[in-house]
Amino acid sequence: MEGIVLALFVCLLLALVTKYLSVPPIPFYIIAGVVLGKSGLALVANDQISTFFSEMGLIFLLFFMGLGLKLERVAANRTAVLTSGIIDLNVNMLIGFVAAYMFGFSLIESAVIAAAFYISSTAMALTSLIENRKLMLREAETVIWLMMFEDLVLIVFLAIISAGNQNPLLLFLKIAGVLAVLYALAHWGKEFLISILDRDDELPIIFTFAAVLTTASFSMFLGVPETMMVIALGAAFATTDPDAFEQHARPFKDVFLVTFFVFFGVTIDFSGGVNLLMITVISGLAVLSKFISGIITGVVIHDSALAGIEIWGNTIGRGEFSIALASLYGSPLVATTIAAVVIVTSIVGSFTAKYCTNLRKGIMHVGRRKSSPRRAH
Amino acid sequence: MSFMALRSLNLPGVGTKYEFETDKGDTVAIFFTKTGMIQMYTLQKGCNAPSAAEMTPVEARRLGNILTGAIIEADQESVEIAFSALADLRITIHTFIIPKAIAGKTIEDLQIRAKTGATVIAVCRQDKNIVNPSPTFVFESGDAALVIGESDQLKKFEQEILVA
Repeated sequence: MEGIVLALFVCLLLALVTKYLSVPPIPFYIIAGVVLGKSGLALVANDQISTFFSEMGLIFLLFFMGLGLKLERVAANRTAVLTSGIIDLNVNMLIGFVAAYMFGFSLIESAVIAAAFYISSTAMALTSLIENRKLMLREAETVIWLMMFEDLVLIVFLAIISAGNQNPLLLFLKIAGVLAVLYALAHWGKEFLISILDRDDELPIIFTFAAVLTTASFSMFLGVPETMMVIALGAAFATTDPDAFEQHARPFKDVFLVTFFVFFGVTIDFSGGVNLLMITVISGLAVLSKFISGIITGVVIHDSALAGIEIWGNTIGRGEFSIALASLYGSPLVATTIAAVVIVTSIVGSFTAKYCTNLRKGIMHVGRRKSSPRRAH
Repeated sequence: MSFMALRSLNLPGVGTKYEFETDKGDTVAIFFTKTGMIQMYTLQKGCNAPSAAEMTPVEARRLGNILTGAIIEADQESVEIAFSALADLRITIHTFIIPKAIAGKTIEDLQIRAKTGATVIAVCRQDKNIVNPSPTFVFESGDAALVIGESDQLKKFEQEILVA
């Protein structure tokens, strides 16, 4: 218990500092966990309470993602979302997979690494667009839809990987069934849900917490992974009043998710040896591969490679979803590799998000200078 | 007169965007972000880098008041409300800071309604609000009085009550 208090206190300080410097806090929570945990000072160890908190963190993260899904909006923007999304998916999955496989990971491990390598942090990308005042740029919309597409792909990944040795078709049917039931409940109970959410007392918060936990605990009974259950619940609730649910679930998500990140760091184990070369190469490739996919997307969607720099700069950071994949399916070595990718890319990404517009202007400027003598005639 | 359509768009995870192009080809975009802040971007025609300002909801409302044509002085402001259904009735609410000269006097003493036609509808005193003060209400120096009336009546209030 003292461990978790110490960890939370450290995170509080880190949150203050990172907010002040406006850099993403996630890498620092993980580093704090590594320093406090068994690979570092060994002050904090995983116990039942921290495991429970971490699980809650993951569940609320995915519930939030479900709440944010706007399927009808994706359908309305199909061409743009699909084009950029598929470029992003193919380029990054391929590079991530090949790199991991070359370093000797098994096929499945390489697939997990590739998935974590591919998925950018939605939280970081959106925060950086807002904080760096880029919402009006044409590329901002592309980035927003890209994040939505990645969320959808993540759901497919989670379903595939968590299927284990279940019959995938059966699992798919079960998930569809759960989704249909939850949608029906949200549809027929919409007025009841909204009447609860509108109250000023503690009821909306208790209801939200209980609904998420109850749904998650049904997973054992139905044999549908709890990750799928809570995403489905979020998606169903999104048809009622998603903003109210976000507001009531946010305190749980914020606290539990911080615990999730820091204890992910705590459990990182360097005892198996760390291949620094591998970690450096994969992290470097993670920055490079988003550059490649960004430039291609820029050329295809905006007719401009320079637009690609903007897309690249805002999508480098890998974060919450990569860590989620690592903690759900990763062996210790996979987890360490993904942690390194997250730490490196999110720190690099916070700089590129701030300065890629300058970089872009610089390139344009150099380009103009080169061509101006010819134009002078 | 024709207006360019105001486009609104809900951006998942970010908030709501409103955008329109002016007659002269400049673009204005407003984002109500999920962080609670409001960002306004303006893009001059022919430019490719917009400039941005981030505002709190209070600041955004203040900007809205300015844009609707209300007068803003240092710490006094006013809002004009037009009821187009009522023969274009235009009513203005203006805040005035009470000067030392009339401190200690009541609304009755000053004969505000009789002299100007305007009405004091609220007084803000050190962050406390007194709504619909009675005629015997005593002003103190530094009070912010909310006065309602037509713009001529408010001008009279300013010239005859505050200065006298």
